[in-house]
Amino acid sequence: MNRFRPFVAALLLLVVAGAASAAERIPAHPRDLTFGPLAFEVPDPAAYRHDLPGGGTAFVVEDHALPLVRIALTLRTGGFLEAPGEEGLAGLTATMLRRGGAGELSAEAFDERLDFLATNLSVMAGPTSTTVMLDCLSPRLDESLDLLFAMLTAPRFDAERLAVEKGNVREQLARRNDDAAEILQREWSWLLYGPAHPAARQMTAAGLEALGRDALVRFHRATYRPAHLIAAVAGDVEAASVLASLARRLAAWKADGPEIPWPPAAPEPRAEPGLYRVEKEIPQGKVVIGQLGVRWERWDDPGRYALMVMNEILGGDFTSRITQRVRSDEGLAYSAGSSYDIGIFWPGSFTISYESKSATVALAAKISLEEIARIRTEEVSEAELRQAKSSFIDSFPRRFETPFLIARTFANDVLIDRPHTYWRDYRDRIRAVDAAAVREAAARHLDPERMLMLVVGDWAAIAPGDADGRASMGELFGGAARELPLRDPLTLEPRP
Amino acid sequence: MQIPLLPNRSCAVAVVVAAAWLALAGAVCADTTAHRAEVPVEQFTLDNGMTFLLVQRPQMTTVAAGWVAKVGSANERPGITGLSHFFEHMMFKGSRVIGTTDITRDLAIQAEQEAVQERMREIYAEQRLRWRRGQIADPYAPENRTEELKELAQRFAKLVEEQRALMVKEEFSKLYTEAGGTGLNAGTDYDMTFYFITVPANKLELWFWLESDRLASPVFRDFYAERDVVHEERRLRTESTPTGKFEELFDSLFWQSHPYGWPVVGWPSDLQVISQADADAYYATYYAPNNLTVALVGNFEPAVVRRLAERYFGRLQRGKVPPPEVVTLEMPQLAEKRMLAECDCQPQVEVRYHTVPFEHADSYALDVLSALLNGRTGRLYKSLVLGEQVAVSAMAYQESRKWAGYFSFQAEAKGEATPARLEEAWYAELAKLQNEPVQALELEKVKNQIAAGAFRRLDSNFFLMLQLLLYEGYGDWTYLNTWAEKTLAVTAEDVQRVAKQYFAPENRSVALYRRKAGAPPAAPMPPGFDELSPNLQQMVRAQLRQLAAVNDPEVLRASATAIGSQVASAPPELRPAMQVILTAIELRLAELLAAAPGGEK
Repeated sequence: MNRFRPFVAALLLLVVAGAASAAERIPAHPRDLTFGPLAFEVPDPAAYRHDLPGGGTAFVVEDHALPLVRIALTLRTGGFLEAPGEEGLAGLTATMLRRGGAGELSAEAFDERLDFLATNLSVMAGPTSTTVMLDCLSPRLDESLDLLFAMLTAPRFDAERLAVEKGNVREQLARRNDDAAEILQREWSWLLYGPAHPAARQMTAAGLEALGRDALVRFHRATYRPAHLIAAVAGDVEAASVLASLARRLAAWKADGPEIPWPPAAPEPRAEPGLYRVEKEIPQGKVVIGQLGVRWERWDDPGRYALMVMNEILGGDFTSRITQRVRSDEGLAYSAGSSYDIGIFWPGSFTISYESKSATVALAAKISLEEIARIRTEEVSEAELRQAKSSFIDSFPRRFETPFLIARTFANDVLIDRPHTYWRDYRDRIRAVDAAAVREAAARHLDPERMLMLVVGDWAAIAPGDADGRASMGELFGGAARELPLRDPLTLEPRP
Repeated sequence: MQIPLLPNRSCAVAVVVAAAWLALAGAVCADTTAHRAEVPVEQFTLDNGMTFLLVQRPQMTTVAAGWVAKVGSANERPGITGLSHFFEHMMFKGSRVIGTTDITRDLAIQAEQEAVQERMREIYAEQRLRWRRGQIADPYAPENRTEELKELAQRFAKLVEEQRALMVKEEFSKLYTEAGGTGLNAGTDYDMTFYFITVPANKLELWFWLESDRLASPVFRDFYAERDVVHEERRLRTESTPTGKFEELFDSLFWQSHPYGWPVVGWPSDLQVISQADADAYYATYYAPNNLTVALVGNFEPAVVRRLAERYFGRLQRGKVPPPEVVTLEMPQLAEKRMLAECDCQPQVEVRYHTVPFEHADSYALDVLSALLNGRTGRLYKSLVLGEQVAVSAMAYQESRKWAGYFSFQAEAKGEATPARLEEAWYAELAKLQNEPVQALELEKVKNQIAAGAFRRLDSNFFLMLQLLLYEGYGDWTYLNTWAEKTLAVTAEDVQRVAKQYFAPENRSVALYRRKAGAPPAAPMPPGFDELSPNLQQMVRAQLRQLAAVNDPEVLRASATAIGSQVASAPPELRPAMQVILTAIELRLAELLAAAPGGEK
């Protein structure tokens, strides 16, 4: 552990522990403690950033403490490139890339070799990008990279393995209604974005059946490209050597065809406000309340930071207003809180989520809506503001705590076109948020008229509300609940 | 100790295997002798018996900090099950300083609350008697409350209100959040309870202040309201998940005499009557400093930490009696046990065997045995998922708890395969392990992964801190540094021996899960339904479901009248749907009246 690590320089610390100077007496209250400064400088992306052939970018952060290397390669492919009717193709291609053999190696030999090397290799397709993750011992890096690039450039998509995988996926589809939380998640994303949106797409059994090996081969050929590839590398490597190694392999990767359309496009979502419910016999109601949010292209807009602070106070963590009232004061839920996901490629969403026993679903909703109304009209207290802001500011260094986090954070900047200066200015922008800006953010971005509520549970027990008559579902969202029929898990058609 | 990345004999062994493997084996023999997988831990113990484990990571900006109380549900007894977990919740409620603006009044109100609850518990004893006599269906249901209970509940609610006016809600959590602390949380297990957070390195003294304060003068505010949160947690984790209730049942079936047989979250009826006095007695015994260990991993000066430890935690008093051991041993199992469950879940199976506890000499061979079975090139995946294609997934693991352990096989069925078919497939795999020694190369692969894992698990500060607490909770943190070496020493003969020793049929318990048959086929739709458009059908279906829940003929008749009066004025496209609903109401009325005793008058 004694070797010098370059990234340490960036994080050079001057920890002056308060303890060193304090008298041997315990202060009466923790607010009486004094702390030395945590000298921390945001790592400089230029120190790690390198160009790759084909317009790609790499961030390499050396760390020789353990003989391990982590690499994430992010590609511009994913769900957004699926044609209608091909829902799930991006995911299945990614899975079979890893599981179907590559180059000279059959599927079995490929798996065996990786396991023998103790190398972890995975491919994950998301709605807007696909990431290949490699985690290996540093002496095995070269051979592990050979396997990784054989997989990316010469996948075999073994037909037998594909048949097994499709059978397994079908089983997963068949159990989509077993867990109420999964029903909630699916119906909520459809209510907000509609079934065709990349953020909400779902596979059907018939669609899966239609996805043959040829579809995977075609999708791989058409969308997996070395161009614009983003690499995040951290661990026991020499930067120059790993860069040369990546460049050599990328140069050998031949892929032609039209450019991938970028940024990812998606239909404009339209969500119909109101109260929705799905019937499921469980002793709790599982609930989401929320609305479509914003897509924000400017990273330096003060409103963005005010919105983050607003959500933190409303329902962002354990000490937030919603958690306190719903969980601590009333004991209505084990978990209750909110999140405001600011969209990058399409509008994000605001959601309050909780689960509560059937009789108190309405009461918890009523409290949550009261809190939304309050934060839109009343300024938050100085204490709340101070606490929320310092939680962002003081926990900020953790975002760069490990070499891999540094590399991945900067790599993600490139993917979503976020300027690296975002990190340099982040804490000052949070500091600048005041109570008026928080109220304005709430008034602008939380709109009770546009909100939806979705409940999965036993409606006959939920609708009347609590025994003390404090709230019933009839008083929320105009009183009428639209029943969403439980869908057949294989076809996703409403069940008779 | 230095862990070679691969055992020394690995190259020699691999080379003699089939030619196809020669190229592979050569490549794997590179070594990493420059690195050590041993964690340098600095340990010290205060005079009161509290132990500290320190791992310095000077390049970090934070400290991952936690402590473990060596107490879990196994230390409970019938009547107070769930208390350890309940405690974990109560430890966030503050102290004499944190969480209130007026501690004197706060404590006075709490005493009054306790008196009210004590009287309620007396009445609940009578309620349980009424329940045993069959006079009420549920001793705790609100609708069965006696007048006095109702009145007491109201008095209690007033006291809660009064106390809340003095409370600084969630002050404990807020102080951390405001200081940039992240991941504040806690966990309870069968053998231990742990509390952890990551704090910025310059705020470590805040951790010492808050943690020693909640141990030195805890005040269990909101004791009875927090009980409701725990009930919700139970509903969330056990009752609302596809298999939660049955897993709980299977645990109780598996353990005959050992306290591992009751759930960590406790039996709901015990939660109803747990008192503050129970909590106080438990606390004095198990939360004494001699039963606690701290782990700190991150950026700090050990000398500073020692001074802080003595100043802050040195004030805790050693417990008057040492925490008692769990002395009840599991009875040797004499016959196979089986559970057949029906749930909204994938058909699946679990086969479980009594094996050995933490650090038992055979636990390492059992770990290797499970490693041979797991993963994408493991035996279970190859035979059950790829070969016979009867399973979607299959896995096995050895769970070595503090006082006892078990080995479990689990698989989820694919297609038409039954859970019984998966059970057979497991016995076939097991027989191979019992009858044939593991091939050298296969064992080698598993050991390569174990050696790599020995490094991987040191990567994260937070995870390293948790592992120190976990192993200390089981009784010995040094396991972190000895596990890999002992596991790498396991031989093919060891694996075969444990496969023969622990997997006898009479030592197993089997859980078979079948998918619950769908709800009984829906009643036929009323005449006219099939002619409606899909949209209207959906609307009618929703209405019919609500109708099915109505049992009062008067309500039905009123609805029929209301709908009937609207038919004429309704939009033409809706009329057919309304007719269908009216027909359905008539049918429903007829059904109700036929079922009523004596028929309609």
